[in-house]
Amino acid sequence: MYVDMHCHSVSSDDSRATVEQYLKWIQVLRKRGQQVDAIVLTEHRKFDAEHDYSALSSQYGVVVLKGSELDTRYGHFLVYGANQRLQRSFDFTDTKLDSVALMQEAKECGAIAIPAHPGRFGIGFCEYVDKGPDFSDVGIVELLNGGSRRGENERAEELVGKKSFLGTGGSDAHFVSAIGTCLTEFPQNIRNEQELVEALLAKEFRAVRLEETNHH
Amino acid sequence: MTTQELEFDRSQLGVEYDAGSFPVKAESIIKCCRALGESNPIYLDEKAARAAGHPGLVAPPAFCGIFVRGFGRPDIKLKAGGGGMHAGEVIENHVPVYAGDVLSAKTSLKDVYAKTGRTGTMVFVVWETSFTNQRGQKVADVQESFMRRA
Amino acid sequence: MTRYYDQVDMGDELASVEKEVSDQMVLDFCDVWSSGGGASRFTDHEIAKKEGLPGAIVPGIMSMNYMAQFLAGWADGGQLKKLDVVFRQPVQHPQTISFVGVITDKNQVAGENQVECDVYIQNAYGDRLVGGKATVVLPGRK
Repeated sequence: MYVDMHCHSVSSDDSRATVEQYLKWIQVLRKRGQQVDAIVLTEHRKFDAEHDYSALSSQYGVVVLKGSELDTRYGHFLVYGANQRLQRSFDFTDTKLDSVALMQEAKECGAIAIPAHPGRFGIGFCEYVDKGPDFSDVGIVELLNGGSRRGENERAEELVGKKSFLGTGGSDAHFVSAIGTCLTEFPQNIRNEQELVEALLAKEFRAVRLEETNHH
Repeated sequence: MTTQELEFDRSQLGVEYDAGSFPVKAESIIKCCRALGESNPIYLDEKAARAAGHPGLVAPPAFCGIFVRGFGRPDIKLKAGGGGMHAGEVIENHVPVYAGDVLSAKTSLKDVYAKTGRTGTMVFVVWETSFTNQRGQKVADVQESFMRRA
Repeated sequence: MTRYYDQVDMGDELASVEKEVSDQMVLDFCDVWSSGGGASRFTDHEIAKKEGLPGAIVPGIMSMNYMAQFLAGWADGGQLKKLDVVFRQPVQHPQTISFVGVITDKNQVAGENQVECDVYIQNAYGDRLVGGKATVVLPGRK
């Protein structure tokens, strides 16, 4: 199963794409022989509890899951499986969240928090990994990020190699045509956020680019 | 830092100000289009524009955004570092603008929020402006976002 | 030649356009835009460097107008209804930039033939310096 683990809908301040537009675009990709089975909406500094995408999800045959991308002291973190307890524990709008506390609390809640685009200059986890606090809770990072500038995914690759991390892939789409450009391939079928967390903990996934899913 | 912690004059959110009136001059349209390397004569030559069925020289589709620079906007007393980069802009056109039109503008503060990026913590300030022509038609809505480094 | 609504489809790319942006073009644009506002980060490389930029940059509103020009040029006979642009990285000049776009959606709304596009301004390395989303209205066949 191919999952775009990182994208933003208009519910994020800087995105211009609606969820339906993403799902329609995935039909265009499928006609081209490419495969995107699920997307995870990782809205900036929030968990979008208000929207229900289940009707769109069945209409277009794409699993739509919800996560968050939070601003922490040590870069942005993607959170999967965020539940009410985690939302009570942290103010998601805070731009200086405690990364270590976030990872620990997520773990205890049955969620998982991983560094987003660690190679991003100025803000990525690479800037902090050896000079910040104890990051021994980090085992997975986002390896392929579709919004990266030149050199940034390479830095993430170097980090993953050096620290023996596992890597996910996500498009970081803010515009319709960017959805699915980077993905994570899972052996499992994932239907909800809890199964996504379990699949991540099972450690049998890899980051891929959209072109690698081509059946033609 | 959370958006709630940002210091600025919140009473200005949504308050509409008269930003003045702006005559659309043919020479400005032509000069602007030449600077953009435009070759379509409807923007460069009044006769050609009329021949193409327009009532006058046509202003290019993002022209209204040019006037916004002339606005004397109120001080929102934002306590956040300097910088001031244009981060984004939205233009929604309703009816075409022609040379000779006089546009009046109303502007208001839409949003102020904080986020982090490659250059550290940033504060975004969003202004909304609507333009109306001398015939009372709504011409365009323009939204601009400015970014300051906190 | 007029571009009709039935000629375009989701996933179609807009023919890309290259543009050489010179210092003089920016100077001329600023002359209209800031009505002789004097030297700035847009027109003076030294001032730009003092502000931490690598050199003088194209004003956001000029990039916006370039994008609008690209779209209006493509949509011959149509109109640019909405353009929503994010300035991601500064666009330095002089530089040759290119405009690329793709149709992401088509809808008939209230009698209008609306086409949604993603558009980008790229440098020679393919870095997407400016990104935008546009709604263009194309004519239908009579």
